[in-house]
Amino acid sequence: MARIGVFVCHCGENIGRTVDASAVAEALRSHPGVAHAEDYRYMCSDPGQTLVREAIAANRLTGVVVAACSPHMHERTFRKVASAAGLNPFLCEMANIREQCSWIHDDREQATRKATAITRTLVEKVKANAPLDTIRIPIERRALVIGGGIAGIQAALDLADGGAEVVLVEKESSIGGHMSQLSETFPTLDCSQCILTPRMVEVAQHPRIRLYAYSEVEEVSGYIGNFEVKVRRKARSVDEALCNGCGACTQACPNRKVPSEFECGLGKRPAISVPFPQAVPNLPVLDRARCARFMALRKGIAKAVCGKCAEACTRGAIDFGQEDRFVTEKVGAIVVATGYQLYSIGKEQPEGEGLSGYGEYGYGAVPDVIDGLQLERLASASGPTGGRIVRPSDGRVPKRVVFLQCVGSRDPARGIPYCSKICCMYVAKHVMLYRHKVHDGEAVVFYMDVRAAGKGYDEFTRRAIEEEGAIYRRGRVARLWRDGEVVKVQGFDTLAGEPLLLDADLVVLATAVRPQPGIRALAQKLSVSCDQHGFINEAHPKLRPVETNTAGIFVAGACQAPRDIPESVAMGSAAAAKVLGLFSNAELEREPTVARVDAAHCAGCFLCERVCPYGAVGRREVRDRAGRVLKVVAEVNPGVCQGCGTCQATCPGKHVELQGFTDEQIYAEIAALG
Amino acid sequence: MRELRELAARLLEANDVQVVIGWEEWGRGVRPAFARTLAEADRLVFDQRCVHNLATYLHPRRKHIRRLGRPAVVVKGCDARAAAGLIRDNQLRREDVVLIGVRCPGMWVEGGAEGLPGDRKWADRCVSCPQRTPTLCDHLVGEDGPEPDGPGLEAQVERLQALPMAERWAFWSSAFERCVRCYACREVCPLCFCDRCLADKSVPQWIESSPHQRGNVAWHLARALHLAGRCVGCGECERACPAGIPLSILNARLQQSVRERFEFVASDDPSVPSPIGQFRVDDGQEFIR
Amino acid sequence: MAAFQPKITAFVCNWCTYTGADLAGTSRLQMAPEVRIIRLPCTGRIDPLFIIKAFERGADGVIVSGCHPADCHYNHGNYHARRRFAIFRDLLDFVGIDPRRVIFSWVSASEGGKWRDVVDGATATIRELGPCRTDTGDEGQGRLACAS
Repeated sequence: MARIGVFVCHCGENIGRTVDASAVAEALRSHPGVAHAEDYRYMCSDPGQTLVREAIAANRLTGVVVAACSPHMHERTFRKVASAAGLNPFLCEMANIREQCSWIHDDREQATRKATAITRTLVEKVKANAPLDTIRIPIERRALVIGGGIAGIQAALDLADGGAEVVLVEKESSIGGHMSQLSETFPTLDCSQCILTPRMVEVAQHPRIRLYAYSEVEEVSGYIGNFEVKVRRKARSVDEALCNGCGACTQACPNRKVPSEFECGLGKRPAISVPFPQAVPNLPVLDRARCARFMALRKGIAKAVCGKCAEACTRGAIDFGQEDRFVTEKVGAIVVATGYQLYSIGKEQPEGEGLSGYGEYGYGAVPDVIDGLQLERLASASGPTGGRIVRPSDGRVPKRVVFLQCVGSRDPARGIPYCSKICCMYVAKHVMLYRHKVHDGEAVVFYMDVRAAGKGYDEFTRRAIEEEGAIYRRGRVARLWRDGEVVKVQGFDTLAGEPLLLDADLVVLATAVRPQPGIRALAQKLSVSCDQHGFINEAHPKLRPVETNTAGIFVAGACQAPRDIPESVAMGSAAAAKVLGLFSNAELEREPTVARVDAAHCAGCFLCERVCPYGAVGRREVRDRAGRVLKVVAEVNPGVCQGCGTCQATCPGKHVELQGFTDEQIYAEIAALG
Repeated sequence: MRELRELAARLLEANDVQVVIGWEEWGRGVRPAFARTLAEADRLVFDQRCVHNLATYLHPRRKHIRRLGRPAVVVKGCDARAAAGLIRDNQLRREDVVLIGVRCPGMWVEGGAEGLPGDRKWADRCVSCPQRTPTLCDHLVGEDGPEPDGPGLEAQVERLQALPMAERWAFWSSAFERCVRCYACREVCPLCFCDRCLADKSVPQWIESSPHQRGNVAWHLARALHLAGRCVGCGECERACPAGIPLSILNARLQQSVRERFEFVASDDPSVPSPIGQFRVDDGQEFIR
Repeated sequence: MAAFQPKITAFVCNWCTYTGADLAGTSRLQMAPEVRIIRLPCTGRIDPLFIIKAFERGADGVIVSGCHPADCHYNHGNYHARRRFAIFRDLLDFVGIDPRRVIFSWVSASEGGKWRDVVDGATATIRELGPCRTDTGDEGQGRLACAS
């Protein structure tokens, strides 16, 4: 039998001026199922709350309706009062007779009548309310960070310093990401390796960080607090336990002509190599696609070929038979920090991304037309030219370098409508690096805008123009082509109003920033969503920038959107803070207003699974006593469900109910209208 | 048809299936048949009287059919679409059934038209059928026949849609008022497979159970909505209805709706999802303020 | 004859429209009093059955309102709702139930003014269309009659 208590608040004059609160209480007193009704001036005040608490006990109430302000104001307050009185908090609802009644009408009779009707509706709802208990989920206090670039490194260090254990998975042989390829960073012109490598070493040496380099995430299952991750540790052909990083194998390798990925194709490496001298971990990788021994094996030649690296190794660490290994890690949270790649202007583009190349710039086949990362390698002291900026074609020092901004970016026709954010800044930086090294060189920049919004950024770009003498031309370049020794640049200066035809010794393209290849497959494994460009979606563009819509999975750095280093670092720290916040509770407490499937009647059509925005619906086998599978039904994971109820509206038979907003409760509210 | 009978016999002999579900002669018409022996297989027929959607025997509520063993089912275009719907909604596994596709010439209904034997005409739904010959099948028998012709269901939908609203309401309200809530439409439909139908739920009772206009309207609107994007247009619901409620027209209107709004036409490809349960960011919202 | 006081049920989502309605209240925007709000977590939770039941139980009009597309608190509850409502509306219209009796809107948490306009607009429309349910027939139990 329902014994509902109704408490009508005057809220001083806020409600009392337009709504006769006593009359509302009086009307509800005789409503079926109401055991107690009273009004009070300020229900949320201390005495008001006491009044409610004591009334619950004195009248043995089975439910409470507080007719007052919006539940967004005080639902939590009154639910706490109910708890304190021993009544399940979900048996307490609020009737909004202030924001949605007394404040929007001025006819006292009409407003009072409406307030009475609203309160009656909530009383009918509460009669159908069921007690709900907070959901508690255990948490594994370990975090997985995917990606060992600067964002991932920052997240890993902050997490580990915060007391959590970290598993850091990086697909390349060494951590460091693109930042390790840069020569100097804007706006300070810090040496990139100098500020990065100490962090890399800290990661390697941190007692709470387990580093899996040259590894990839293979499979992810589970949910927040309880993920299980299978990591593929790719075969280096080197036994990590024995290798001491001496590099003798890389010296001994006779195949020294492999284009180096780290050098962006401008330098060569041996078949067994360490990407760069400061690599962490300092372990080589044998590139089996280029190794003579493995090439012979693939051709079917029985006799073993070469093997000079194994001969040179004093520790016997080379293992040609090594295979990929798998490890499984249990973690409570995941941070995705996989970074970016640069767009290529070539003819061949990844399928299904809507991208096309730049035929007018020669599809990447014109010599001495390079991109930003390639220039960074040329400018780097540890790069293929020892820091001398020279033309890749003939090694001569270029006397005029033309920089093109917005190659690919802001171009819906190429499939990249967004701005890549960092290019205006790094082009200004490139200008400075060039001018510092080639004092009589001329730097020309074709730009649409100069976007320099960060701290010290505008001053930096002004310096490039005013102090370093860069010539900035506002306009696009229509065509690039080779003519003898030079690259012809045909462009337009819209401010001067004149077409330009320049002879460039070297052309540098500021190509668009895109997410890494394989991001969509990874996102699918994690059940996170990507936007149409492949960038990982944040939970809310303004207020939740490092969370995703999948509980327990966070995002940091350029995999979410084009980002510079300070932002990537900030996001790494922010993601770590979110994870540490999650880990700070003994258990994960969640609101019980989640969906629950009626397995007895579920028809197993899984429409609910399809519409759930969070992947919270799984499948469960229902077996008989002999163990035979009778049917497969849907099951909602209470740790992941966010309580939207889309599943219920989609289910044809209503075999899934959203607790707190069940069909019965809503029906009661609809029926109370009359 | 010899081809069909021989195929059925082969399947039964090889014990690939334990029952072939098709049609056999019955009075002046045909009825569904469950051939388990060679003699029974020899009685199978197929022609323009075979209106029944045999895919309805495939959904899990038909436990008495399941007990007969692994079935082969003769499917017309609409029946194959229904089988695809069952696979799509996880009610049937493709490997658990052998589908014998048949080149459907379209079905006859009583009515009268020139140039056809007897006093029969093509069913409107067959004139409107998007694909009479199944793609989803393990075998394909039969010969192509003449195209069914006639106004089709679209013409009926258009005619009603063109009436003023009060007349449309009068038409449908009186149609629904005739409903006796026998649920024959639901029972015969291959895609109404819920163990406990929403209409049988009493707490809360969204759909009043008594055969009163109010509850009847709710029942038919709810069923049409649950079939939106799923109905295969087999017309069995209308054929089974003892009260002559023109259910095909109601379902056809929603087929038109999903076609116009979401470019969806029911097909027998189970990998194509139903449009309800999907969305596009640019879905139309002209009706939303 | 007393002026017809329409009864309008509004199904709104908690995060956008309900908050927008609260904002209208905080801003003291005056509006027609005939709308009764039922709070739901998301428009994705709204079943066409709710709307039909509301009409059966005496509503003359129904408002359905939620977050703008792309702003759904639960990512895409409102996208699913949008498709559902589009089909529902086509069906209502075909059957002869005046679709003007069901008013759909996207009202964000900051659009108090828009909520007032939706409420006032809906009330005016329904007043013009007249009562939905006709209380004639057996046992005084109303038949559904939402044509205009």
